[in-house]
Amino acid sequence: MIEYRNIHKAYDLPVLTGVSMRVEAGEMFALFGPSGTGKSVLLKTTIGLVIPDIGDVEVDGVSLYRGGKKALETVRNQVGYVFQNAALFDSLNVFDNVCMGIPEAELESLPRNEAAKRAWEALELVNLEPRDILERLPSELSGGMKKRVGIARAIVGRPEVLLWDEPTTGLDPINTAAVERLIKRLSHDLEVTSLLVTHDVEGGLTICDRVAMLDSGTLRFCGTPAEFRASPDPVVQAFVDRAAAEAALDMAAND
Amino acid sequence: MKRQSPGALPLPAPIVNWFAGVGRASTVTLEHAGGLGLLAWQILQAIVGLRVSLRSVLNQMYIMGIQSLPIVLVTGSLAGIVTSQQGGYQMTSAMPAYVLGSLVVETVVLEMGPVLTALVLVGRIGARITAELGTMVVSEQIDAFESLGRDPVAILAAPRVIAGVLVLPLLVGIADFIGIVAGMGAAYLTAGLGVDSFLYGAQLFWHSWDLLYSLTKAVVFGLAIPLISVHMGLKTKGGAEGVGITTTQAVMFMTLTILILDAMFPPLMLN
Repeated sequence: MIEYRNIHKAYDLPVLTGVSMRVEAGEMFALFGPSGTGKSVLLKTTIGLVIPDIGDVEVDGVSLYRGGKKALETVRNQVGYVFQNAALFDSLNVFDNVCMGIPEAELESLPRNEAAKRAWEALELVNLEPRDILERLPSELSGGMKKRVGIARAIVGRPEVLLWDEPTTGLDPINTAAVERLIKRLSHDLEVTSLLVTHDVEGGLTICDRVAMLDSGTLRFCGTPAEFRASPDPVVQAFVDRAAAEAALDMAAND
Repeated sequence: MKRQSPGALPLPAPIVNWFAGVGRASTVTLEHAGGLGLLAWQILQAIVGLRVSLRSVLNQMYIMGIQSLPIVLVTGSLAGIVTSQQGGYQMTSAMPAYVLGSLVVETVVLEMGPVLTALVLVGRIGARITAELGTMVVSEQIDAFESLGRDPVAILAAPRVIAGVLVLPLLVGIADFIGIVAGMGAAYLTAGLGVDSFLYGAQLFWHSWDLLYSLTKAVVFGLAIPLISVHMGLKTKGGAEGVGITTTQAVMFMTLTILILDAMFPPLMLN
């Protein structure tokens, strides 16, 4: 379970203003919103990559900003984060990149063949052939493969929560659909809580149990996909319509 | 029109802008000073806590030391040759020729060796570190380290700073030596000063303290270059353009710092 309590964050201008939201254990939850509304910032507050000016985040009962360094360490060990552009370490090969997902203390005590087995399994789970890519550097992988390796790194530590930051950005429709299926399958098979930040509204509505929408740094909507589609809120409606139009344009461009 | 508060002096816009500029520059300077202090403290904590990988340190020492050796040898040699030629040109017949030996050795050891080596490393190592870490910031690799519970300071910053402190004195020692040898050769070829006379002149005004002075400078420069470049790299904002801007700023910042530190050494250690 992830609970955001009254999150405020400002840089030069306010980004998040009093966001409170709860993602239940085992749930698949999508967060929508126009660009620059603070979706990724909110996601990053979940593991202390961005520190809120006011407010707190609780992950499986651990209060991130009241529990000190130990709480941050605990939360980071139980959360897997999938970055928008994979954020693989350029100087490490795929094997070392994936192994970095195993918590440091565990990795130090793990025999190398056991670590290799875990990395191998994680790569297989994301539909990659480990034999072909373990020794490759990130620069030798395609965009879709990088994303998958990034996902493998996030799941190899056996997290209880998975955070997905725009996992389908920059992918073609075929890869987008494949990654969405992967997200759904992994979230189900690994029995994790998933919070997905995405621009792909249709994809998010299809695979998630509940969705929320941020607008100008505040929570505009929180409910089921059906409630989202039927929302009478003009801002939500306009967003849904614009997203549908953009998706149609993308489809046309790819045909 | 803006209303003025009672008693406020009507200042012309250029003066107001000048004060605003000074204020902004002071704020930026203080931010950097604070950031550098904090980074140095975190690096110290990582070293004391034995969280720095020896393999990473050795790798950085190889990059900074072995790979910089050719350019340091060239720079050191040229420093010695130029000093020798300039010294020979300036000398009058009233001065004994062996003074050239002292001039070359003292100039190379006290000044040219450490400063030129440091400036070469600013371009070769400092710029590289800032660009590398800046790229890691904008591609979220630093965030990835943190999200995986790893400490970027222990993994990325500390090995570079340790390597800088260890490697620069060695490079400066080599630059000093090669500069003196090259200067001796140039003195022989251009001023006809024999090796014995050169060495006689060199020993005449030589103090062991001079070598310590040179190596102390190297240690301080070896700390400053990676510390500033890491700090600037980790502060990078924006995309590829941000990396370019930050790298340029870092090179300027490091060059100025080296020259300012160099100017502070004589009153601290030579008087």
